[in-house]
Amino acid sequence: MEAALPVLARYLHAFRLQHGFSNQEYGPAIAGSASEVAEGQLLDSLLTAGEWQALRLSFLVATCASLFSLPFAVAVGYFLARSKSRGRWLLEVAVNVPLVLPPVVVGYLLLVCFSPRGPVGMVLADWFGVRLVFTWWGAVLASTVVSFPLMVRAIRLTFQGIDPRLEMAAQSLGAGPLGTFWSVTLPLARRGLIAGCVLGFARSLGEFGATIMVAGNIEGQTRTIPLAIYTLANQPGGIEKSWRLVALAVALACVALAVSEWLERRRATDESA
Amino acid sequence: MNLLDFQCCHDFSDHFRLGVAFSTQHRFTTIFGPSGAGKTSILSIIAGFVRPAQGLVRLENRTLLDTARGLSVPVKHRSVGVVFQDALLFPHLTVEANLRYGQRRRKGQKRAVGLARVVEVLEIGNLLKRYPRNLSGGEKQRVAMGRTLLSGPELLLMDEPMASLDTPLKSRILAYLERAVDEWDIPTLYVTHSQAEVRRAADWVVVMENGQVVATGSPEDALGQPQPLGWRNSTGPVNLVRLDRVELVDGQLKGRIGSQVLSLPPRAPSSAMPRFVQFSPSDVLLSRQDVEGVSARNHLRGRVCRIAPGADGVFVAIDIGQIIWSEVTPAAVAELNLQPGSDIVCLVKTHGLSLVD
Repeated sequence: MEAALPVLARYLHAFRLQHGFSNQEYGPAIAGSASEVAEGQLLDSLLTAGEWQALRLSFLVATCASLFSLPFAVAVGYFLARSKSRGRWLLEVAVNVPLVLPPVVVGYLLLVCFSPRGPVGMVLADWFGVRLVFTWWGAVLASTVVSFPLMVRAIRLTFQGIDPRLEMAAQSLGAGPLGTFWSVTLPLARRGLIAGCVLGFARSLGEFGATIMVAGNIEGQTRTIPLAIYTLANQPGGIEKSWRLVALAVALACVALAVSEWLERRRATDESA
Repeated sequence: MNLLDFQCCHDFSDHFRLGVAFSTQHRFTTIFGPSGAGKTSILSIIAGFVRPAQGLVRLENRTLLDTARGLSVPVKHRSVGVVFQDALLFPHLTVEANLRYGQRRRKGQKRAVGLARVVEVLEIGNLLKRYPRNLSGGEKQRVAMGRTLLSGPELLLMDEPMASLDTPLKSRILAYLERAVDEWDIPTLYVTHSQAEVRRAADWVVVMENGQVVATGSPEDALGQPQPLGWRNSTGPVNLVRLDRVELVDGQLKGRIGSQVLSLPPRAPSSAMPRFVQFSPSDVLLSRQDVEGVSARNHLRGRVCRIAPGADGVFVAIDIGQIIWSEVTPAAVAELNLQPGSDIVCLVKTHGLSLVD
């Protein structure tokens, strides 16, 4: 395993050269440059500039991936929970494939599709002038695809737990299908939505294989916490240096859980008031 | 013009075939039958939750469904209110928000049902700020009724709304329902498997079994036909007698049925006057002459109007002003020479009677 990773890095480097882009092309860093972060002296003493960047980037990527997935996960989850159509299993398989594939394979497929010469990447590049691969948006894309099945699973289970007759009741009271969804189904599913988001967020925080394929491991641009730990640990004496990042990853996961718990409780006390 | 015309032919996925046609001109119609007879399916089709292969639903002059013409009005435009067996209040909304849910979305202004009046009639004022999970079964059902009334329905569908409540509560909720239906004069289709509810509330009853209509008519007529009712495997008819007046004579409750007087069992002084008595046909003894020296307090004179063989005994319908049923053995029928038209005295023990609000 250990030996395989440098091979992968070399492959990526070769791929980049082959597809005609170099490190200089990556454009402005969105996650904030090292000099910017260095301003805070106090913060500086806690974490190095690189670690701050990794934290910011991880947080940003995971948040964007969760928010971006949410509407789609709600739509797909609802369809899977309520539809009785025979073709349903096709969608089900398509959604769940990233869950069973090795993330590196998912990343490979995304890279092929979204590279500027790939079928989707070409459209994005030619029509919109947008490139996803080897930018932090690529990391968002990888996280979105990998965490999507988990979100759908959580959200779908919640929808399945909602009595469809409540929706019938709403319609017989004069609400249309969309109005019913907004006023009854979605509010009743909010626990599942929160759970789905937290699950997706946590999965995105831990995303490694697909991210390194699609977004690369570029400091300040696509180097999230797991990538930073990996990079650091590969250096001589790096295992000792990476503990702060490891603690950061643990803390971030705990904060996500605590926030979801807090949201849940606030809702619960609302209702029993 | 009929209030409601209904026709439907539909094969459900579980090999159940519903083939039903009926019309009613009555304000309060019940659909009566054992569970699995297809009663709820009828309501689902009228409300628009299920679209049958063939069907026609017409509410007064408004066609809600006509498969022959490819017409099906969407659920939200049907103005058909549904009260479900288990209330189905929205758990994330307060009672007040539940009540306002339908009111906000109401289309027609045909019936001016106001929140204040609904709260008053159903006596749910003290519940408004609560959430459904903090309500008892009876409270939930009252709120569900209120929510449906406030949506301004032109037809009220009730799917065994009392089935999950216990007996004393049932009659109280039924009394609320009767008040509401009287107050707003809303045509009602009421599904039940309880004979007592049919006899009490209905003007007209549609009796169903195995997805088909087996009898229609006034409760006395339709429930008086033993064959279609499947008395073979049920308890037979239930006696529910409406009391014209109830008074307290020397500390004893007396109920009047026309010119006859019924001695009623005692009851806590604070509770309201009962409006009905219910008793089993097996508690009714028959005698050709009025007899002295028996312990049974109630001697009701009447005339035999129908004799219907049941599984074990014979059910005899007696007209005492209202119809009551007695269960006797075939030997007794022969010995007493009972025939339609025979004058008869019914002996009923006071403690065999149960009072119903």
